[in-house]
This record gives sequence, C-alpha cells and structure tokens, in this order.
Amino acid sequence: MALQDAPVPVTETRKPLGARVRHLLLSQEGVLFIILVVSVLFLAARTDKFLQASNLLTQGRLMVEVGLVALPMTFIIITGGIDLSVGSILGLTAIMLGVFWNNVGLPLELSVVLALGVATLAGFLNGLFIVRVGVPPLIMTLATLAFYRGLAEGISEGRSVRGYPEWFYRVGQGDFLGLPTQIWFLIIGIIISAVILSRTTFGRTLYAIGNNEVGARFSGLRVDRAKLLIYSFSGLMSGLAGWIFVSRVTTTRSDMGSGLELDVIAAVVLGGTSIFGGTGSITGTVIGMILIQLLKNGLALNGVTADATIIVIGLVLIFSILVNNFIQSRRQVE
Amino acid sequence: MRNRKFVLIMVLAMVAALFITPAVAQEEDRWDGADDLPVNPLDCPVADGEMTEDEGDEEMMEMPEYNGGVAQNAPDKAGQDIVLVDIPKLIGIGYFDATALGAQQAAEELGNVTVTTDGPTEANIDDQITFIENYLAQGVDGILFAANDPVAISPVLRRALESGVHVVGYDANSEPDAREWFVNQAEFNGIGKAMIDALAEEKGEDAAFGIVTSTFTTPNQARWIAEMWAYASKCYPEMTWLETLEAQEDSVLSFDQATVLINKYGEDLDGLFGMTSVATPSSADAVTQAGLCGEVAVIGLATPNAMKPYVESDCVKSVVLWNPIDLGYAAVYVMRAVVDGTFKPGDATVSAGRLGDLAVVNGSEVLLGPPFIFNKENINDFDF
Amino acid sequence: MTAVAAAPSASADRRATHFVGVILGVLLLAAYFALPFVNQPELGATGITTLTQRGNNEFELETNGLVLLPIAAAAALGLGLWTVFSPRHERVTSILIGGSGVVALAYFIIFFKAYLEAKGSSYLGSMAFGFWAMLALAVLMIAQTVLPRASTGEEFSIRRVLGNQEMILLGGLIALVTIVGISNPRYLAERNITDVLQSHAYIAVAAIGTTMVIITGNIDISIGSLVGLLAIISGRIATDTGLIWLAWLAPPVLGMVAGGVTGFLVAYMRIPSIVVTLGMLSILKGMLLIWTAGSRVVDLPEGFFLAQMRPLNIPMPVWFMVVLTILAALWMRYSGFGRSLYAVGGNKEAARLSGLSEHRIVFQVFVINGFFVGISSVLYATQLTIIQATPPPGMELTVITAAVVGGVSILGGTGTAIGATLAAILLSAIRSSMVFVNLSPFWLRAVQGLLILVTVLADLLRRRRQRV
Repeated sequence: MALQDAPVPVTETRKPLGARVRHLLLSQEGVLFIILVVSVLFLAARTDKFLQASNLLTQGRLMVEVGLVALPMTFIIITGGIDLSVGSILGLTAIMLGVFWNNVGLPLELSVVLALGVATLAGFLNGLFIVRVGVPPLIMTLATLAFYRGLAEGISEGRSVRGYPEWFYRVGQGDFLGLPTQIWFLIIGIIISAVILSRTTFGRTLYAIGNNEVGARFSGLRVDRAKLLIYSFSGLMSGLAGWIFVSRVTTTRSDMGSGLELDVIAAVVLGGTSIFGGTGSITGTVIGMILIQLLKNGLALNGVTADATIIVIGLVLIFSILVNNFIQSRRQVE
Repeated sequence: MRNRKFVLIMVLAMVAALFITPAVAQEEDRWDGADDLPVNPLDCPVADGEMTEDEGDEEMMEMPEYNGGVAQNAPDKAGQDIVLVDIPKLIGIGYFDATALGAQQAAEELGNVTVTTDGPTEANIDDQITFIENYLAQGVDGILFAANDPVAISPVLRRALESGVHVVGYDANSEPDAREWFVNQAEFNGIGKAMIDALAEEKGEDAAFGIVTSTFTTPNQARWIAEMWAYASKCYPEMTWLETLEAQEDSVLSFDQATVLINKYGEDLDGLFGMTSVATPSSADAVTQAGLCGEVAVIGLATPNAMKPYVESDCVKSVVLWNPIDLGYAAVYVMRAVVDGTFKPGDATVSAGRLGDLAVVNGSEVLLGPPFIFNKENINDFDF
Repeated sequence: MTAVAAAPSASADRRATHFVGVILGVLLLAAYFALPFVNQPELGATGITTLTQRGNNEFELETNGLVLLPIAAAAALGLGLWTVFSPRHERVTSILIGGSGVVALAYFIIFFKAYLEAKGSSYLGSMAFGFWAMLALAVLMIAQTVLPRASTGEEFSIRRVLGNQEMILLGGLIALVTIVGISNPRYLAERNITDVLQSHAYIAVAAIGTTMVIITGNIDISIGSLVGLLAIISGRIATDTGLIWLAWLAPPVLGMVAGGVTGFLVAYMRIPSIVVTLGMLSILKGMLLIWTAGSRVVDLPEGFFLAQMRPLNIPMPVWFMVVLTILAALWMRYSGFGRSLYAVGGNKEAARLSGLSEHRIVFQVFVINGFFVGISSVLYATQLTIIQATPPPGMELTVITAAVVGGVSILGGTGTAIGATLAAILLSAIRSSMVFVNLSPFWLRAVQGLLILVTVLADLLRRRRQRV
C-alpha cells in the first residue's frame, strides 16, 4: 500500500522515572490501555453483570479465534503486508478436518494434525506467491480469500460434518486449570509471539522489512524467508482457530470464519500497528482485541442492540487512531 | 530469470486447474441443494379435491415421547413479569422483522412479558452464539431463537437450560434436547407438497422447474427442497428438476440468478421456486422484466407485501407462507405457558391467544398450522 | 476503443495507436457476425445479422446481403495491419482507416433513413446491441485519425499492445463468451448478453471510483454499506416525497458527503484508509439497520425505476456504465487531475516536489469515489421493485476484485477505468457462464479465485517481459 511516513520508533534510553511513566502512558499501547480502562469502568458502572468472572471467562472463550489469528496478522502488517484469506483458511481447515475424519475415515487426532498441515500449506502458498512471484499481499490474499473458501465449499458440497466424539469438544468447551481450555492456547500464543517480535533478530527483521524492505535486503536480512515464515504462521494459526472453532460449535460448515479477516484487522490496527508497516506490537494487538470484545459485550449488557453497537465499534476504531495519531505527533514535536 | 519461469509454470498450472476443476466437478453427482436426511412425502392429492385435510393424521402413530430439554432449577415466575430476548438468524430482513412484530403483539396482549429482538447483522453462526452468551450474562428469563445452524447453536442453548433459562425456538430448529419447545411454522413435507401442488396446478404435471435458494448450507431450505423433490417424484414423476442456484439472502443476486435460469433454459423452464422471502419477489421481478409473465410460473415462500405487485399483475398466482407474525406471536405465548407451568412435556396442545390451541407434534414441537396460500383474492387482507 | 485509452502512462506510443485500426476492424467484423443487429426479426427488419431461435437448441444465423459494412471493416483491418508493419505510410493509411469509418457511418445513415420511411420513428427502439456497437466503432475509427496523439520515446512492441491488461481482459471475455456460446448457444442470445452486461453495471460504476482510490494508494472497503444506506435513502425519498429526481440526485450528493468525511480523515487526519473505511463500514451499516429497523422499501412510485428503463433498447445501467467509463477514462488520462492521481500513487516524493498537494488530491479522490458509489447505489436501488434493508453482501470485495483484475495497483500508480469495467463484466460473465456449462455451483468461488490469480500473474509476467 501507500508509502506514508511511518512514525519513527522512539529509542529507549535511561530517563528519570517520571519521564519513563509518562513515556509509557503516552506510547501507542499506553493510550490504548487508558481507553480500555476508561471504557471498562464506564461499562461496569452501569451494570454489575459485566465484571463477573463467568462473563469475562465466556468473553475470553469467544475471543480466542480472533485473538489467535491477530498474532500472525500483527507480524504481517508490521512488514507492510496483509492477509485477507485467514477467514477462508479457517473454513477450509474446518472442512478438511471433517472430511479427513468422516469421509476418509482417519482417526480424529490425525485429522486434526493433517487439517493444521493443510492450513499451514495454504498460508505457505500465500507467502510463496508473495515472495517468489512478487504478487502484492493484498491481491494475493484477496484471490485466495475466494479460492480457499471455494475449495471449502467445493470439497464439502455444502454438507456439514457433525457428531464428533465427546473428548473432541474439550478444547472448545471444556476448562483447564480454571480457565476455558482455548484461552491457554491464546496465552501461550501471545507470549511466544511477543517474545519473537520484541526479543529476537527475527522480530527486528520484521520491523526492518516494514520500514524499508529494500534496505533490509541490502543489509543482509533474510527477507524472503521471514515473509514465507509469517504467512505460513498465519495459515497455521488460522487452522488452529478453525480447530478450536469446530470444537466449540460442534459442527463444520464451509461458511465458517467468513468476515473473520475484518475483525482481526480491526483488532490489530486498533492496537496501534500501522497498516503501512514498521510499527506495532503484540501488546497493542492484545489490548485492541480485548477492547473490541469487551465493548461488544459491555454494550450488549447495557441493553444496546447490535446495530448501535457496530456504530460504536466503528467510531472507536477511527477515534482511537485519531487520538493516537495526535498524541504521537505531539510527542515527536517535543 | 528463475522467477519468470516459476511464474510461467504457475500460470500454466492454474490455467490447467481452471479447466480441470469444472471437469472433475461435473463428474461428481449433481447435488442441488437438498439435504440427505430421510424424507417423508405426504400423500398425493386425490382427484376432484376430495382430499381431507386431516387424512395424514390417522396414520400418525401414538404421540412420540417428549424429547426436548428442561430448564434446570428455573425460578418460578408463574404470573410474574418476565424478560425475554428474541434472537433471529439475522436482523434487517422483512421476514424476521415480521416475527419480531408478532412477538411484540403477544407481549402487549399478555402484559407481563417484555421482549427485545436483537441479533447478528449477517446470518453468521458465530455472531449468533455471541449474542446468546451476552444475553445469558445479562440475565434474561427466556430465550427465543431461530438457529442459523441446528448443531452449532446447541451447546450454548444447553448451557442456558442448565442455568435455568427457558429456551424456545421458532422458524429454524436446534437439536431437540438443547431447547424446550420448537414452534414449527409448518412441517417440511407440508411445504414441499404445497409448493409442488401449486406448480402442478399452474403448469401441469410435467412441468420443469428451477429453484433459487439462499445457500446450500441453510438447513430449512435444504430440507424443503428435499421434501419437494421427494413429493414430486412420488406424485408427479413427469416433473423435471432443472437446477438450483444459490443467492444468499440478497435480492439483487436472487434477481441475477433467476435471470440466468430463465436465459439458460428458455422455453424449457415452466416454473421458478423461490425458497426464501428474498428470493421469491426477486424471481418474480426477473420473470416480469423478462416479459415472461404467465410463461414462467413463480411460486415460493414470501411475505405478502413484497409480492402484492406481482400477484396483482397476475405474474404470480400463489405464494406459500405461514404468517411470520403469528409465528413470533406463538413463540412468545409458548414461552409464557412454559414459564407459568401451564404447558408441560406430555401435553398435546398449547393455547396461543388469538391463534387458539396449537397441536404438539414430533415430541416437542408446536405446529403453527398448515402452510397458508396467498393469492389474488386474499393477499390484500394481510399487511406484513 | 480500448487501445485509445489503454496505456496508463500519460502518453502512448505513436505507432501503437495504429493497432487501433486493426482492433476496430476485428471488432467491427465480430460485431457484424456475432451480435444480433435488429431486435425484432418478425418485423421484417432485415438488419445485418439476426440470431433467430428455431426450436429447442437450434439457432439460425441470418446474414443480410448488405456488404458495405464488412467491406469497410475489412478495409480498416487491412490498412491497420499495413500501418503496423510499414509505418512509413501511416498518414495515408490512417486517413484511409478514417475513410472506412466514414463509409461505415454512411451505411448507418442510409439504414436509418430507410427504416425511418419504412417503420416510422419508433424503429429506434428495435435496434439491438450489434447496431449500436458497430455505430460506436465506426465513429471511433473516424476519431482515431482525427484525435491528436501523444508520443513517447518508448520502444514499440507488439507484445505491449496485445499484452495490455485491457486487451487480456477483452480477449478473455471474448474467449469465454465464445466457448460457452458454443457449448450452449442460448448464452449468445441477445437477452443473455444484455443481462450479463447489465447485472454488474453497478459494480462497474463503483469500480471506477475504487480504481481511482486504489491508484492513489488507498482503499475503500465501506462501499457495500454505503450503497445499502444510499439505496434506502433514495427509496425513502421516492416513497415519502414522490420527488423522483430528488431520489435520483440524493445518493450521488450524499455519497460525495460521505466520501468527503472519509477523505478528510484519510488525507488531513492521516488515518490509514483501510482503518477509516473499516470504521465507516460498521458505522454506515449500523445506521442503515437502526434507521430501517429491518423493513424493506416497497410501493415505490412508477417512474422511480431508472435501472429498468431501456432507452434505445439498451438498459440504462449499461448506458451509465459505458458513458461513465469513457468519461472517467478520458478524464483520468487527459486532465491534470487525472495525471496527478497516478503521480500521487506512483511516487509521492516526486509528486510533492512537482508541487502537487497530495492531501488535496486524496481528499478529492474520495469525494469522487463517493459520487460513483452514489450513482452505483441509484442503479442498485432502482433495479428491483423493492429495496432491501441490508447492504449487498460482499459487494466491496467484488468491486475491489474488479478494480484489481482490471489492472490497478499491481505495482502502484497504474490502472484504468476501462480495465475495471471490463473486469466487472468478466466477473459477471463468469458467474453466469458457470451455470450455463453446468459446473457444480460449489466450485464457483474456487474458480473465481483461481481466475483472479491467473489474471494477476499474467499481468506480472507481462510486466516482467517488458522490463527485460
């Protein structure tokens, strides 16, 4: 997409505590966190149902699919790319899982593994065309958005696979150590992704690609390999989300996950990751997705209907970026 | 340039795939939007219309056991004010607008019921589940739903029952044990019979027809199509089923798909079935704009208001539908009766206000009645 | 027609323009043989070619003895080829091509006069596509000799002209229609061709705006919601006030207002367009649902149905599509603003240095996009006797696909309105042709996805070749 000037990352230096707190609070994530706290307080003040543990855990359960996919999406958007095909990969994985188990007759465990393999392959194909052929990510994944969904429809012929054994539902409906099982997947995913992004050379490569791909290439970074990896990772995570989704809703349909890409992108960009690449963080993405989920839930609990809720979400999306842009530009002036 | 060769190979591979995919797809058995559950076609019409409405009932064996679920430890709210939420497949289409209206009418009549209609803006299984979760957290006394997917919606409904919330479905069912009662607008085989009979009457017993449906994965539509074809095969073996096309719940796409069917089959096409309240008026529009009124019959499920222009211009002879206002109305009455304890498993009927007593069928379903046929004479009596 | 405005760069190769003669000749001949010429053969209106249906799957192609037109077409073809291979006589040959156009045009005038006398003035309504298509081609043949040509120093290459994105699309379209037409002749029936063109006209109109937006390096994913909202507004105005002209006028105006808001946020507030339009998608959709509460607009007044009108027997949406595409193509190519679009998308820095205000251009492009979306929603709203209260599902994806397949944004700063329109028609043709060849509907989307990939790859391949 456009080559708009990305905000220059502020270099970390030792500063007095006050300045550091101020720095933290005024960072992209800080501002977002404040917005999150304010909206939670506002929503909680009006209904006591909102902050109940059972409600929050349920919301956590519902958030996992979007959350898992948002992690690789953050990587991809940081490199200046985008992956629109995630929802379709989710649907394809669900269908493959059902087909391997029900039609091919493989053991369910193996079917899950194979379906995740298909998902990774789907992501890898995206990456391959983007890297080797040079198709712009937006266009490549726009094409596979239609193609993978088409495969899911064609393979399933519109039929759904149901009647999985009881143990299969534990991932999507059960609890583990007091939390819904799939939240553990998300937590582990978040930790791993955050470490990769902020503590490894690979993470720095991603930022470098986003800021200046040609420069990154010239400075010897393995740009192509990094891109292939993140698109494959995106496929894998979409597949994982598909598996969890099937387990949660106990059936597979070819239209599963349609529209997921927009929810995921909304969470990522709300989290301060610039669509032009070069900036962003897992922390921001996590706050972004929690904010959207809690807003939807909190508004519903306050008696706001769906049509008004989506207006609020849209406004929050635009205004949070607006506020953040404003603050960040002020900081740069300082 | 190695990449150029790579691209070239990829292009060739994909062009090959473009040609192979259709070929492979064509070899497979054609499947036209019917599901593969067992069908149960009704009896064929007897000549001279001697057929009595209740003939089928005699064959009915003893009442099946109640197979619905039970709301556990539900607080006794008999006679007290209750708060219900109505979660249709999606909001923003005329059909569910009408069911919501009916629910409001019932709530007004009863006086001690509050109903809110809220739901996803697209017929999306995941969004619908989220809505139910939210309302469970908010705390309601009862949930009315029309399921986007019978299986996917069931876990959350079971959870609702476990936490003492009453659950009644309408329009589109869940698994039986995930709700207490389901208000069935019309039995699938009844719809199938009404549609096919209407075509036979208008275009003869050897008519060839096409179908415009929502999606192949929508359970109700797939069921209807299966029952229609079973009934047609049984009673009108000369009928030809040409093709079924998907058109989402989108009127412009429905129009385009109906047009494609008209253009493809030309004078071979005798009738078009619209399987949704969106597809039927659009199909009628397509036939009208193609100037084929009378040549191609349009029969379908639709709400009267959308069909009035076509029925009045004689382009459409009959519209099959239950009254969706009554459906929403009945659902609220059933819920009220369940909460009050006046309607229990094993009962054979339930009283539903202006609709009188409704019969229980299939263990835990409340039947609204036979499908209604709208035609030129009666269509102006309805406003929804 | 296509080659005139095809090359996206501000100037075209001088010799390349002579292909116009070849192309026009081919098209004129194709139109002569393939397209039904007169709509009502039973009137005895013996036009050039009539396709009459005799029984089930039998069709008869009747060709009238009027030879003036094919001779003119053949002359244009031959002269065009001559110019291509021996450019020394280009002035002479191009005048001769123009002369062929005059001959063709003369034929039309004679035809007109004869029928005016025979059938009265109502005959115009019975003219079919073939007639108007050929008339337009004849005019273009004349125009291409008269219009001034830009010249560049670029090396001429036959591949470049034939490998043009528009040419690929047009070729694909013709191939598709021919193949499907052979397997099922009903596909070629005039009504079906009309329907194929008509059904995606509103997509094509919206795709023109999207093309401009994408050229500047932005994107708009709120089109579907905006069309849904504007369509309902238009319908409500028509039913509530009865002022049909207002109902037609309001969507483009309100579309420009909505585009202005988006453009302001993108251009001056520096929020990425995908974020703004993602937000607008939700906001507009929510407004639509709250406002309509799910009820469709019915009982629309009689004269409201703009898209159902058929002036000169051609559906109004097709008129809009063709006229807007041509105007937009010319405007994007020849106006200062049009060129600045490409400059902003292609090289911001250079654009800034040359004194272009990037902000203002981006703002304006969103306003213009709003205008096209508004027109699109009028076509959408007036197509059926009811207006649904939900946004057309997936419309933004179809529109963006059309723009992308039409050649936009492959490498940034490229793309034309003609390409987008051709792509929209191609998508519509694919959708209906899959039904005609009995392809399992489950694979429809897979084939569409593959097709986008093939188009994009073919384009990349072509560009690689050119660079080498």
